[in-house]
Amino acid sequence: MLRLRRPLMAALTVALALVLAACSQEQLPNTTFNPRTEFGRDIDDLWDKLLFWGTVVFVFVEAALIFVVVRYRRREGHPEPKHVHGNTTLEILWTVLPAVILVLIAVPTVRTIFRSQAEAPASAIQVNVVGHQWWWEFEYPQYGFKTANELYLPTGRTVSFHLRSQDVIHSFWIPQLGGKRDVITNRTNYLWFTPDSTMGSDVWNGFCAEYCGESHANMKFRAFTVSQEDFERWAAHQKSGPVITAPAAPPGAGTPVAGAPPAAAQNPAPAQPAPADGAAATVAVSSPTLSQSLFPRLPEYAIPKTPIPQGLDFQEGLTGDVERGRQLYARTPCVGCHVIQGVSASPIGPNLTHVGSRTTIAAGLYPNDAAHLARWIKNAPAMKPGAIMPPMGRGLRDPRTNAAGTLDDAQIADIVAYLLALK
Amino acid sequence: MTASAHAPAPAHVHYTTTGLDNRKIAIWAFIGSECMLFASLISTYLIYKGKSRVGPYPHEPWTNPLTGQTQAGILDIPITSASTFVLLMSSLAMVLALAAVQNKHIPKPTRGDRILGSSQLWLFTTALLGAIFLGFQAFEFTAFVNEGLTIKTNLFGSTFFTLTGFHGAHVTVGVIWLVTLLFIDRRRNLGPADALNVDLCALYWHFVDVVWIAIFTLIYLIE
Amino acid sequence: MATATAPIHATAHYHEEPTGVMSWLTTVDHKRIGVLYLYSALFFFLVGGLEALIIRMQLHGPNGTLVSAETYNQLFTMHGTTMIFLGVMPLSAAFFNFLIPLQIGARDVAFPRLNAFSYWVFILGGIFMNVSWLMAAAPDGGWFGYTPLTTRTYSPGLNIDFWAIGLQILGVSSLAAAFNFLTTIINMRAPGMNLMRMPMFTWMSFVVQFLLVLAFPVITIALVFLQFDRLFGTNFYTVSAGADPLLWQHLFWIFGHPEVYILILPAFGLVSEILPTFSRKPLFGYPVMVYSGILIGFLGFGVWAHHMFAVGMGPIPDTVFALTTMLIAIPTGVKIFNWIATMHGGALRFTTPMLFSIGLVALFTIGGISGIMHSSPPADLQQTDTYFIVAHFHYVLFGGSMMGIFGGIYFYFPKMFGRLMHEGLGKVHFWLMFIGMNLTFFPMHYAGLNGMPRRIYRYDADQGWDGFNAMSSWGSYLLAVGMLIFIFNFFRSRAAGRVSGNDPWGGSTLEWSIPSPPPDYNFAKLPTVTSRYPLWDVKSPELTSDIPHTREGDKDNRVKVAGSDTGANVHLSSTDRTHQPPEAPMHTETRLPSARALGIPMPLSTIKPLLVAIGIVIMFTGMLIRSHEISAMAAAAGQGSTMLSTIIIVAGVVMLVGSLYWWLLSPLEEHH
Repeated sequence: MLRLRRPLMAALTVALALVLAACSQEQLPNTTFNPRTEFGRDIDDLWDKLLFWGTVVFVFVEAALIFVVVRYRRREGHPEPKHVHGNTTLEILWTVLPAVILVLIAVPTVRTIFRSQAEAPASAIQVNVVGHQWWWEFEYPQYGFKTANELYLPTGRTVSFHLRSQDVIHSFWIPQLGGKRDVITNRTNYLWFTPDSTMGSDVWNGFCAEYCGESHANMKFRAFTVSQEDFERWAAHQKSGPVITAPAAPPGAGTPVAGAPPAAAQNPAPAQPAPADGAAATVAVSSPTLSQSLFPRLPEYAIPKTPIPQGLDFQEGLTGDVERGRQLYARTPCVGCHVIQGVSASPIGPNLTHVGSRTTIAAGLYPNDAAHLARWIKNAPAMKPGAIMPPMGRGLRDPRTNAAGTLDDAQIADIVAYLLALK
Repeated sequence: MTASAHAPAPAHVHYTTTGLDNRKIAIWAFIGSECMLFASLISTYLIYKGKSRVGPYPHEPWTNPLTGQTQAGILDIPITSASTFVLLMSSLAMVLALAAVQNKHIPKPTRGDRILGSSQLWLFTTALLGAIFLGFQAFEFTAFVNEGLTIKTNLFGSTFFTLTGFHGAHVTVGVIWLVTLLFIDRRRNLGPADALNVDLCALYWHFVDVVWIAIFTLIYLIE
Repeated sequence: MATATAPIHATAHYHEEPTGVMSWLTTVDHKRIGVLYLYSALFFFLVGGLEALIIRMQLHGPNGTLVSAETYNQLFTMHGTTMIFLGVMPLSAAFFNFLIPLQIGARDVAFPRLNAFSYWVFILGGIFMNVSWLMAAAPDGGWFGYTPLTTRTYSPGLNIDFWAIGLQILGVSSLAAAFNFLTTIINMRAPGMNLMRMPMFTWMSFVVQFLLVLAFPVITIALVFLQFDRLFGTNFYTVSAGADPLLWQHLFWIFGHPEVYILILPAFGLVSEILPTFSRKPLFGYPVMVYSGILIGFLGFGVWAHHMFAVGMGPIPDTVFALTTMLIAIPTGVKIFNWIATMHGGALRFTTPMLFSIGLVALFTIGGISGIMHSSPPADLQQTDTYFIVAHFHYVLFGGSMMGIFGGIYFYFPKMFGRLMHEGLGKVHFWLMFIGMNLTFFPMHYAGLNGMPRRIYRYDADQGWDGFNAMSSWGSYLLAVGMLIFIFNFFRSRAAGRVSGNDPWGGSTLEWSIPSPPPDYNFAKLPTVTSRYPLWDVKSPELTSDIPHTREGDKDNRVKVAGSDTGANVHLSSTDRTHQPPEAPMHTETRLPSARALGIPMPLSTIKPLLVAIGIVIMFTGMLIRSHEISAMAAAAGQGSTMLSTIIIVAGVVMLVGSLYWWLLSPLEEHH
């Protein structure tokens, strides 16, 4: 029976190796083995050394163990064992050998520590990251705008993250772009890396890696790497005020709020653009937005599949009206927490100036479409456990303050239409 | 030479490896543990030193936002020096109390010998000095609260009251211990056979004293 | 070999052995307390295991909906807390209690009543913490309880109070026990049992007691700060007052890392007893094993910040802690190699305890190697807070601690209960555990390195984690089946296992020289020890012929009574090297004389330690209620009172102080 163990172990290892070999980027989208920055590569090089020496030690120790276990099992008529109770030479040997291996690991380790924690180059783009329970705020101070839960990073240019927390400790992590760094109250942490200039437009998953309370699992974000020109275009657009996209459909068609959640693989971009009223501040040409043109189709791993919790009903067949939504927004408690440039200014929740151009809502939890957004506005704490945003649906009570929401489904549909139009 | 480990011995004494009583070993282990306790408290005080966002501060002057007056640092070194002296003297009394118990059986011909050999007197003195130290501390705490420093005020208040409060609690336990010994002494006259009981208390008392010296130096004297 | 050949038909029985519930509530016998620890800790281990099972069921596939986020966070917090403080530590304590006095040739621990007190505080603390489930307020801040998440601002409920106060209660127990065992080992060794003859389990326990004594005060203070913040509004972790959230992390890990060695070293000790026995060879490199254990304990205090490589300490602290962490691998490696060398050239018998011990060597090695992988701070930045870490420490604590402890249970079960556990079932248990453990935890390495963070109650589809998680979950079901078999085997063997006799395995240390289960006084005559392997000296002297022995007149054997050297030397002769004559049939008789008949003074049974423990728990319960009153007051804008909690706290203190005085002023044992 004992002899079975090793082959089993070996089989397990081989099986896992095969699983890995069969996996493409698409199947292991958050792997740390395929780094796309110099920081990630430094870590990966170190990892290779660690894995190599770890494997050497593993094979040596386990082989010695197997040999001893197989060779010295007691047999009938076997003579009594020799009574060795020590051997100084051997013991010195197996003290010194591991020490040598450790030196081989320690030297590159220390070198990488100092290289990766050096000052970021002066030319770096600065991004101030602020962790909140449970979403991410991203500020580009050199460009003068803030956004939430979706980062754009230019390829070939160093990005320097200045990490701060608004409440508890979080940890900022994009596995494919490099190691994580904790986001701590009362201090600023730093992390910088340079996305490879050889990449095209790409999207990466980011996570909060430090337990931060009830919805820690739901505190995700996306990082989009784009060319430097596209980045500049995106930044200029973000800096500008809210842009309400013109409809392709006739006025009054509105944004239908689906009664049922969309199919899992559906592209999160809203199916139909919302109508624009003549009174809208800015009317853009009805063309694909920048993010839509850069990422016409998101990879599966970047599209949230989180199911809508049971019991979150929303009236079927409602069609929101952008202008009604715009006026309503200014009269609801929404303005008490959200910034829409030129409309509302309270920076407690995520900045909504260009919310319609984002691919997800609720920190990477749901696709940004009418069906999800409507339910989110109606009852955020039910959509995301512990969410601080109170339920806006009429009669629904805030689990924290017990205050009741005031909006009926039709009003929410209007607000959804307005928000989704904010490209 | 056929004695074995099971040598007949008085029923209440046991064979020990080191020859020391178990309790003596245990109290040293306990004191080792207490060192880590106070090390954690003192380190926290030092880490947060100068990090308070509002006054009062220990040494630096601060402006009271309510009255608008600028006041000096809140620590009163002369008074605390006096209480430190009292606690140091209590350790001396403790030494005399232990010696008195150990030498109970020796005849005391002179009045001076009898005073030195009175374990009750010295136990009482130790406890009294400990109580006076606690009185100083109560006075200091009250004064601080009146000046606007509570455990909630700032980091200094939290760390200071917790650290000195923990020490004060240790002194209190020591005083209760001493009073208990004093009662036993009055009831049945502690003699050399009880020396260990007093010795344990003495070790604890000296330890608490030494901790205070560390606190006094690090918190009061060093600015 | 002459092992287990004597015809034995029943387990040992004693006159005047008290029975009944009261006898257990008042016992001060270290063996009974050890058994109490064993049962209680196994119970909590099952509770913690059940929590883990629910976690694995929730994570079996993407977007699991078995439990809510809130419940999941409570489950992983309580799983960690339970396994560490209510499972592995008390399982080790069961062995400390049962074995240390037997191994060093003592009649009890140094402070038998304090020992009972430790147990009662532990069990009441364990119950206290788990009552939180019934009140739907189980701790949910992680076993590490990072501030500021655990401060009142972010955790207003009683959850964190249950956790922080529960840990304080358990800390009292651990500290009391540590003072006791430290004193026992220093001061209660039989004549001739010098430090370099102590059995390896006792040695490793000795190191653990030092770690407990020095590490627990630090967590005590960290928790005091947290409780003060929550109850009295102090600012230790109040970020708006300028507090540094990292203060908690430093204090916690200064305790937390030695805690890892508190969890693993007893298992190392057990394995160091089991491997030589079933290899029929002395432990290879005994002195080096001792020194490496000490070194591990010592270095364990200098590596804490390797849990904090991601917090941004700066390159110099990162380097220092990386190097000390790597250094600690050397003594650990030495232990692994010495165990293999112990088996090398031996005559290996693959009994169940032996299988578990070999399992420890094989699996702990993996945990050690992955440990080195995150001793490198940059590499750790990709590993920390991911499932890679979960895999790592489960290889250390499950593959290490639990494998060793299960080996210890199978090995010492006959000594505790006089009967052997069933070998066939034991082997099935081992294989299910070994395979289940690898199936559960090995894929977690991959999940972690492929980006799966820890402590998430669900994960989305298409992240590349589904397969790894399903594998882990299936593995955990195997572990559950293995545990069921173990429980069945335990109780079946307890009732109807094969009678073991004194020395079923051919052991080398003193505990095997006395009946199974041992009489309350352990040794009718205190043994005199002349070498590291006193029983092999008697039974198979050829095994220990190369090992130094005491000769007549050596000062190690001078008998000291109550502090004074009697000047007497222990009598030694070639035929009387231990207290047992060589051909004594190792106590095959089943009715043994009582302590009273032998004139051995035994400590009196007493309820007082239990009363003191209850007083302490009442006092702490008052603090819990105080916290509840404070939240109620905050909700009602300052209205409310703290009357009830004050009364309860005062009542607890009165009971504590009253019963403590009663305890201290009553004699330990009858005067003869």
